[in-house]
Formats: sequence, C-alpha cells, structure tokens
Amino acid sequence: MNLGTVFLAVFRREWTMIKRYMVNSISSLMSVYLIFILIFMGFKSMSNYVMAGSLEGSLEGTVVGFFVWTFTIYAFSDLSWSLISEAQAGTLEQLYLAPCGFKWVGACTVLANLVFSLVPIMVLLFAMMATTGKWMNLDFVSLVPLLIITLLGAYGFGFALGGLALVFKRIQALFQIMQFVFVGFLIVPIRVAWAKFLPLAMGNSLIYTVMVDGARLWELPLNDILIAIAVGAAYLAVGIVIFSRCENVAKSRGLLGHY
Amino acid sequence: MGKTIALKVEALTKTFRDGGRKLVRAVDNATFHVEEGEVVGLLGPNGAGKTTTIKCALGLMGPDSGRITVFGEDVQSGYPGILRKMSAVLEGSRNLYWRLTVWENILFFSALHGVASSEDKAYFNHLLNLFSLEKKRNVEVRKLSQGMKQKTSVVCALARRTPLVFLDEPTLGLDVETSLELRTLLKQLALEEDRAFVVSSHDMDVIQDVCGRVIIMSQGRVVVDDRVSSLIDLFRTKAYRIALRGSVPPGLEERLRQEFAGASVAEIDSGTEVRVTLSEDDDIYRLMDILRDADAVIDEISHEEIDMEKVYLEVVRKERELL
Repeated sequence: MNLGTVFLAVFRREWTMIKRYMVNSISSLMSVYLIFILIFMGFKSMSNYVMAGSLEGSLEGTVVGFFVWTFTIYAFSDLSWSLISEAQAGTLEQLYLAPCGFKWVGACTVLANLVFSLVPIMVLLFAMMATTGKWMNLDFVSLVPLLIITLLGAYGFGFALGGLALVFKRIQALFQIMQFVFVGFLIVPIRVAWAKFLPLAMGNSLIYTVMVDGARLWELPLNDILIAIAVGAAYLAVGIVIFSRCENVAKSRGLLGHY
Repeated sequence: MGKTIALKVEALTKTFRDGGRKLVRAVDNATFHVEEGEVVGLLGPNGAGKTTTIKCALGLMGPDSGRITVFGEDVQSGYPGILRKMSAVLEGSRNLYWRLTVWENILFFSALHGVASSEDKAYFNHLLNLFSLEKKRNVEVRKLSQGMKQKTSVVCALARRTPLVFLDEPTLGLDVETSLELRTLLKQLALEEDRAFVVSSHDMDVIQDVCGRVIIMSQGRVVVDDRVSSLIDLFRTKAYRIALRGSVPPGLEERLRQEFAGASVAEIDSGTEVRVTLSEDDDIYRLMDILRDADAVIDEISHEEIDMEKVYLEVVRKERELL
C-alpha cells in the first residue's frame, strides 16, 4: 500500500474540511484568543497591586505556556475528537476498511492536522505577542523539533482517549477535563524532580528557554532534551497500547460502528 | 475447472453479551461460500446474523471461532492488507462525508485503497455516468436526496475496484423508482465485471432480480443456501391455489390451519379460494382428505404464483415453528 497516496488523500480531505468549516475554525481560534485576553487582563490588574516588573517573567511564561497549550490541545483533540466525530458521522468503519490499516489513516490525519494547525497557532502567537508587547525569539530551527517532542505526550493522550471513545462512546466530559489537566502539566515547575516525568512539562520548559532566553537547540542541556524525548515517547507508547487494547475490545463487542 | 472461491465462511460463530449480560449467539456455526463473478443474496429477519457475518468478513469484528478466507487468504491473519480485495456499503451508516462533494468522496475512499491512477479516474467517471450522478459530482453530499446519497455510497464502494463487494441493505430508504434503478445497475455491473457481490437486503424484489443464489440466515444459522430459481421452483410445486364451488364450508379454515401452517381460506366472487403451502410429498393426500370431509367441491387446482418474498416468508415461518 502506497502510504503517500493515503497521506495525500487525507491531506486533501482535511484541507477541504477546513475550507468548508472555515467559520468554525476561525471562531474556535478567536475563542482561544479571548481566553488569553482575559488572562492577560487579570495579569494587568494584579500588577497594579505588586511592584512593577515583578510579573514580567510570569507574563512571558504565560504566553509561552498558552502557545504550547494551544498546540497540545489541537494535537490531542485532533485524534480523539476526530475519532468521536467519525463514529458519529458514520464514516469510521469505512476508514477501518483501508488496507493500510486504520492506524496509518489516523497517523496521516494527525500529520495533516499538525501542518494545518501551524498557521492559525502562529497567528495566535503573534496576536498574543502584540497584545502583551512581549516579542519573543522565534527560532523555528530550534522550536519545531522541540514542539514535536512536546506533542508526543499529547498524542499519547489523544490515542488513549480515542481508544476509550471507541468503547465507552460518550467521553466528552473526560475530554474537557483533560484540557485543564494539560494546563497543570504546563505550569508545574520542573525544579520539582518528578515534574520532569509529566507529559509536556520538560518540553514546555525547553521551549520557554528558546523563546524567552533566546537559546538555540544545541545550546540546551542534552540531558533535558533526552528526558523530554523519552517522556514523550513513553506517553505516546502507552497511549498507542491503550488504543490498541480498546480497539480489540470494540471489535470483539462489535462497537466500531456504534455511537 | 471450477470458479475461484471469492469468500469462504467456515463454521463462523460470534457471540455477544446483551444489555442483561446474557450471552447471545449472533452467528452460529455458519458455513457458506461465494464464487468469483457471483451475486449472492444474504437474507434473514432482523437479528439473524447477516450484518455480523459481513462485519466479521471485513475484519470489523473478531469472530469467536471459525474461519473466513477471501480469495484463499485468511481474513484474521491477512488483516488489514486483505482489505485490498474487499469493499462495502454498510447498513445504518452514512458511509460518506456529507461535507465533501460526490467526487471528493470517491477520490478519498478509493485513494485509501490505493486506487488513484488516471485510468481509475476514467472508471470513476464511467460509474458516475452509469449511476446518473455526473451532474452532481461537485455537489456536497449533504445536499443530495436520500436516493442519490445511497447511490454515491455504492459508487464509492465500487470505485475501490475490489473483486469482492458487500452491499448491506443498499436500497434501504429508497423510493420504488430509485430502488428499481439501483437493481438494474447492480445487475448490469454483475454482468459486466467479474466481481463477487454479497447483497444483504430485506427487499425481496432486489434479491430475486439481482442475485443468482441466496443464503437465508435465521437465529445466526444458515438455513437455506440455494439458487433463486431452484427455490422458486421448489416452492412453486408446494404452493397451491384451490378454487371451491359455493361458500366456505364450516370448520374448513380451522382444520386446514391445524394441518398446514399459513393456510388461508377466503370467499371470492365465484366461490371460495384456498391457499396452502405443503411441506411433504404426501401432504397433498391429507389436503384432499380434509376437503372431502368438509364436502367441498373442487372447481380448479393450480400452482400458486411464487416469488422470492413468499419463499423467504415460508422459510422464516418454518424456522420459527422449529424454535
């Protein structure tokens, strides 16, 4: 099976869907921006009570954290949410009829969505920087690999929740809770030893160092990069195992086509 | 030399737990095969195991026991690559992206099967023409009528150019005209292309018109596997219409119903009409005895006109009696 043909087909489908659901895509981006504005205004009002400058670092951290959080939410929701919506739309079983296997169709969907989410998230980042007046270092050579490493963990959660959605169907509540859990992963300081092993945390810290401190990828501690890769890969692997188990249960119980 | 076996189902068994955790045997030791170029109807009442059998064949469900091979390759061990040989329109599913156009859906689903060459696209155009969808190719599926959506689903399954195609209730929800049109098209395709089709339907006209052979399932078991023409001939010789002189003899209907399930007695302009389907060869003598005992005067005896629907209903009725 030519995976290139499958990827092109998925890429074309995603692009067409984005165009057809343009209003929805823009409004969801706008709502993320509005949440950021609210947080930013909260910061400004707090700074009236504390000494000027003391919140500078936190503000930059918030912009970076919000940027990474948006990326992770896009990545995480792409997988699990598209599984739910495909099952609802009645197309999931047809995707399972792909001779390359559903996992490759899913992987192509993730990849296509990653490409298509780059532009709106970068627009959001520029909007956030313009709003706060904090213009950060955007060294894409360093940022893109770090983002991918950080997203591995989010994809792991996406796979796990997607698998649970196949079996338990209505898991929207869990899906929403996870968005807040991700915030927790991003704000835990990695000075705490165990925090390094949480998904997203180490990657987020490295991205912060690049964007705020202006460090290049090769200037970062190798040990930290390796931890970020290992943690991301481990969560991704666990997510894939959970998905496979759930997929087997769904097939055994005949649940693939149900919603 | 015999024809290649496209699908072979051997001793397939699949059980589910229902809401009350009771074990339900959806498919029970089912065995049948479908040859290349053959159009086989898969019939049965709701819950007979048709869709479960189809989904097991497609690898969408794992069987408890038994074996399914497609063109000699085991579905379980050959999954998912084996899907290169199969496509399907699944019942109760949209099968399509409603926000994509007809053409976009065809391109997407055929590309998943690696079917995307310019020669393939010429074939897609041929299908669009055949199904009278060429004017709708750039219309989003959500804007199409139910009939056109269903035709698009069938086109998307056919466009994958697989040698085995499952059509689960392909005419469900269609008006009479579109159903008739789809039947004609399926017949034409079965003749033109040497593919194997497994058609599951409650519409007996579709089955009689399109299929050469039928497999009837009941309670998960295969209870009939025969050619449509043989079944109709068989039931024709067993179904009688008897015209009696005068009004209905008292007690005749009760007596006939006791002996022959499904027998009917009705008054008509010219007298009384008895319709009865016999099971055994010597039933005809018992029938005559009952009529003589009722002092009935026979004007005419003829074989009743039989179609696939009557055959099917008779088989299902007998199966229910056996339970």
